Amino acid sequence: MTVRSLGTALGLASIVVAGCARVSIQEPRQPGQDLAVLLPDSGTGVVGRARASNGAGSVDLTEARAATRVSRDRSPTPVAILSEADVQREFGEALASLPPAPETFLLYFQFESDELAPASRALLADTLEAVKRRPVPDVLVVGHTDTMGPPASNFQLALRRAQTVRTLLLAAGLDGNSVAVSSHGESQPLVITPDETSEPRNRRVAITVR
Amino acid sequence: MKSHQPTTIAVVLGAVMLTAVPAAAQAPAAIGRVKIVSGAAFIVRSGTSSAATPGAVLLETDSLRTGPDGRLGVSLNDDTRVSLGPDSEARLSRYRYAPSEGALSLVVNFMRGVAVYASGQIAKLSPDAVRLETPAAIVGVRGTTVGLRVAAE
Repeated sequence: MTVRSLGTALGLASIVVAGCARVSIQEPRQPGQDLAVLLPDSGTGVVGRARASNGAGSVDLTEARAATRVSRDRSPTPVAILSEADVQREFGEALASLPPAPETFLLYFQFESDELAPASRALLADTLEAVKRRPVPDVLVVGHTDTMGPPASNFQLALRRAQTVRTLLLAAGLDGNSVAVSSHGESQPLVITPDETSEPRNRRVAITVR
Repeated sequence: MKSHQPTTIAVVLGAVMLTAVPAAAQAPAAIGRVKIVSGAAFIVRSGTSSAATPGAVLLETDSLRTGPDGRLGVSLNDDTRVSLGPDSEARLSRYRYAPSEGALSLVVNFMRGVAVYASGQIAKLSPDAVRLETPAAIVGVRGTTVGLRVAAE
């Protein structure tokens, strides 16, 4: 089969797609054609968008398992939808090796203090569980403040908050080498407020477990 | 013989300066780590291949490579994730993640085999800053997961 007739066949296949639910892009593999497929995000199932392009044209992938084939000097083929089975056959091994999506935990603090709010202490246990589930955990602890007080002292307060959390994580058994700390001071509020505003939701530490 | 000496000295000095510059520059920063490995999997850095082990640090311009029984999964600093199936190769050609300075860029070249890309903060903050390249196509993303299979040449 020539590349041209394959292209025609794929074109027909995508017309069929418009009329029915899905079609399988069958093997054999076509030499010189790359395959790009939009996949739902693992865990959430959210489907984003992607665009495959080359000098000859471009194709938008906008739904789950939407696929296009691309060869060097030809426009990407019209979109066809792969079956779940096709996706597993093509990408099963790569998908099985994709590291799990990162998880983020938000801990809140008392006003102008590096003391954790009581309700947030319980979240530390969840954080530890998330860390233990991962083969090679990286933990990033970022401190934030509200806008009360000068930015420079808020940078220091946010850093103290992050260090407090790091100390708690290490006391609970985490490896210090895998826990990094940084401060964003008052520069990245969760809730936008005017300056000099006390806002409990902005007095926080975000722990990202990767 | 004598007339060659200045040239020799110049060449030696040139070589010293060339080696001295990278040594004096800051050590390259880690851009991520290997998270999942099975079978034969390698990191190729400056032409030298070493076994990819869980926890191994990745640098900009590293290539990832797997053998016939190999699989590999990595996470980058901005939460971008990339994995390879067997007999695959991808290069982390460009990586900039400094949101406070507005420096965001990710270019991955997929050379061979099968790969999955899952977007991170760079795609979220600046979708146009992410480019996934195969020999035949450039794939741009809007916060998503993409599977790529690169045809055998």
